[in-house]
Amino acid sequence: MKGIKILERILIVIPTMLAIAILVFVLMRIMPGDPVDKMMGESGNVSIEEVQALEKEFHLDLPLFEQLKIFVIGIFHGDLGISFQERRPVWDIIVERVPATIELALGALIFSLIVALPIGIISAVKQNSLIDRLGMAFAFLGISAPAFWLGIIFIIIFAVNLNILPVYGRVAFAYKPIHITGMYVLDSILSRNWPALKDSLIHLILPSISLGAAQAAVITRILRSSMLEVLRADYVTLARTKGLSEYVVITKHALRNALIPTVTVIGLQIGMLLGGNMIIETIFGWPGLGRLVVTSIFNRDFPVVQGSVMFYALIYVTANLIVDILYTYLNPRTTI
Amino acid sequence: MVQVFKEKLRKKEKKMKRVIILVLVTFLLLGLAINVIASTKDTIVVGLYQDAISLDPANHRNRTSETVIRNMFDGLVTRGPDMEIVPEIAESWEWLDSTTCEFRIREGITFHNGEALTAEDVEYTFNRIIKEGGMDGESSPRKGLLGPLESVEMVDDYTVVFKLSEPWTVLLKMLPHQQIVPKDYLEEVGSEEFRKHPIGAGPFKFIEGKLNERIVLERFDDYYGGSPDLPPVGVAPLKTVIFEILPESSTRVAALLSGECDIVQNVPSVDVPRIEKSSNATIKYSKGTRANYLEMNITKPPFDNPNVRKAMNYAFDRDLLIEVLYNGEGGVFAGPLFPYEPMFDSSLTPYKYNPELAKVLLKEAGYPDGFSLVLDTETDFKEPAEIAAGMLSEVGIDCTVRLWEWGVLKPLLLKGERALLLNTWGSSILDPVGYVDAKFLTDGRGNYSKYSNPEVDRLIVEGSTSVDLSKRKEIYKEMQRIINDEYFYIGWSIDDLTGCSVDLINWEPIPDSRINLHDASFK
Repeated sequence: MKGIKILERILIVIPTMLAIAILVFVLMRIMPGDPVDKMMGESGNVSIEEVQALEKEFHLDLPLFEQLKIFVIGIFHGDLGISFQERRPVWDIIVERVPATIELALGALIFSLIVALPIGIISAVKQNSLIDRLGMAFAFLGISAPAFWLGIIFIIIFAVNLNILPVYGRVAFAYKPIHITGMYVLDSILSRNWPALKDSLIHLILPSISLGAAQAAVITRILRSSMLEVLRADYVTLARTKGLSEYVVITKHALRNALIPTVTVIGLQIGMLLGGNMIIETIFGWPGLGRLVVTSIFNRDFPVVQGSVMFYALIYVTANLIVDILYTYLNPRTTI
Repeated sequence: MVQVFKEKLRKKEKKMKRVIILVLVTFLLLGLAINVIASTKDTIVVGLYQDAISLDPANHRNRTSETVIRNMFDGLVTRGPDMEIVPEIAESWEWLDSTTCEFRIREGITFHNGEALTAEDVEYTFNRIIKEGGMDGESSPRKGLLGPLESVEMVDDYTVVFKLSEPWTVLLKMLPHQQIVPKDYLEEVGSEEFRKHPIGAGPFKFIEGKLNERIVLERFDDYYGGSPDLPPVGVAPLKTVIFEILPESSTRVAALLSGECDIVQNVPSVDVPRIEKSSNATIKYSKGTRANYLEMNITKPPFDNPNVRKAMNYAFDRDLLIEVLYNGEGGVFAGPLFPYEPMFDSSLTPYKYNPELAKVLLKEAGYPDGFSLVLDTETDFKEPAEIAAGMLSEVGIDCTVRLWEWGVLKPLLLKGERALLLNTWGSSILDPVGYVDAKFLTDGRGNYSKYSNPEVDRLIVEGSTSVDLSKRKEIYKEMQRIINDEYFYIGWSIDDLTGCSVDLINWEPIPDSRINLHDASFK
């Protein structure tokens, strides 16, 4: 029974993706601006024949419905089209960019967990103490400070003034690891290239902190409040009266339960980290998917925008699906 | 019992504290680990302001791509820092008649793969651009840059003839924008593969790179030396060239100041004092090839009234704008042409700032109390637009600045739906051709003022086909006078600002914003 329901959920993904494809196609066409004109830049001469030849090549001379048909049929064949600007398959371009985005998102996530878990727990256990107040002040700052501002401030302090961290990029050219997954940290480990590992980690620090600060703040606050709630629960009191050590009470009984809402939030944050890094990628010259989408929207490179949005959508839809399925196993009372 | 419990708790707390401290210390140490970019003295790092679009010389219409490409590929001719056309791959040329030009190709040039460059490669290069579907079925977006070029045919191994369908005076000026590609290699691997592994005959060869991240070039040791007119001739002193794509201007400036980049493009004028104060970086100025302008839609009230347009010219203090915003690095000019091009009529004088006269003119035009309007522009021009709006408000024109995304604004401009625009337009060859036909020809692709004058149209067409220099000057002089008297176009120029390391020598920016690294080296 459960198997059928899961299959149903998986099948629903198909019309969802199709709807998203049509929506993004229509939105890109509604937006004013001409891709061929953008391609020609703002200088020099352009002949009408030249424009017509390019429009024909990109199928822009066809009626909208025909264009949509080509796009949708392409999707079913696994073909996202050719980029107007680069004249390369969109799929190749996306695949090239995704590892950088995943690496940055993971860096930000790890940073936010390293910061949020201890501060969240200590703030709850030592409620109203100095640590708690400082922790909450930092969390407030983390939520309030925009990521681009943090990024620029970090660059000025750590890269320009102190000169201890790099301003931009993923790895210095001299240390670039061989391409295996495209994620430089992982590639360096897989190829046992330790200088590359060190250099790519160093390059990850500032962008990860800038991107992860807000997430760290959110997780800290969620964890603190759910810990506070759990610490007052009857079973925690019972654990204490049984004579268990405070450490065991906190880690085994309280934290485990307080983590459930926290994990849900972390799951949502991963989606935001993957999709919300356009500005950080631009500031740190990080060649990920976010920057690709922004550039392509400005260039009216329809196929690239369509392909990238579909890709984002697929990640979200799949993540939701996995979470839903996992929930049924974690908590048998929930159904799909 | 309670004691034991408390003791245990204290121990656990201690342990937890230790873990936290360990984590924090690790982070701190990681942060302190000094990262020194391996920038030895024969490696240069250049910070570009936008992605390159393609490394195929025929497959883009973008200056940044050309900046990278022209370090890997050479053209028939090139330009020096003074924008003069000098031979490069071509040894010499001769006009056989007004539509036929014969080029003699330099012997002994090889591509990066060791193949000799001959007239066959030149013929192939240009046919790939001008023929529809010339790039394996795709059409090149660079065709328009070759005007009426009809055919290119090789005569012998080192001679090639260019045929135009009508006289076109700027052929030579336009040729630096086209670079020679290897026919045999391209036919063997195809355009798609060529874009991944481009091979040219320029001073540096492609090593690796992603267009949106970093492009790495290495010195080509068998380089023929480049143009003899641009000494020093020979193999490049630099061993490695790294182009880094850094779209955010504050990041580029930071990378320059921290020493990670040796040259950075498009430095914002606000950062100039900071860079000039630093000990390791400086700013280089070049005249640029882009005009900035305030442009009025003459088909729409209130700018259909010449007196209102005239008043705008007197109300806007361009000198002050350049002084306060660009530290005086720029110039004010009269008429439609860029002041550094040979066809510019220097006898025309710009309208001098005179707010009192502007008020009188507005009164005469029936606007004694001024009027309200919106000044359209892009984010890049927010500051000059706000300053212009402030100046206009002093004569009673209540002006609000509206920032647009260009792709949205442009169709509205071309439909004539907007009134006032502040923007820029370029002419990388410093010639009216390609510029005035876009801006002032009826329905030109950049004619946002909706200006239409049969006499000006005639002059523009005549100017582009006339080959006699003095006659061209007369034609464009007349055109400039007419347009200047219509008051709808208020122009000024600002210098291009390039940041560079103080240790960099033998490198100067050139107005067409190209970064030629052939001669560059470090102290």
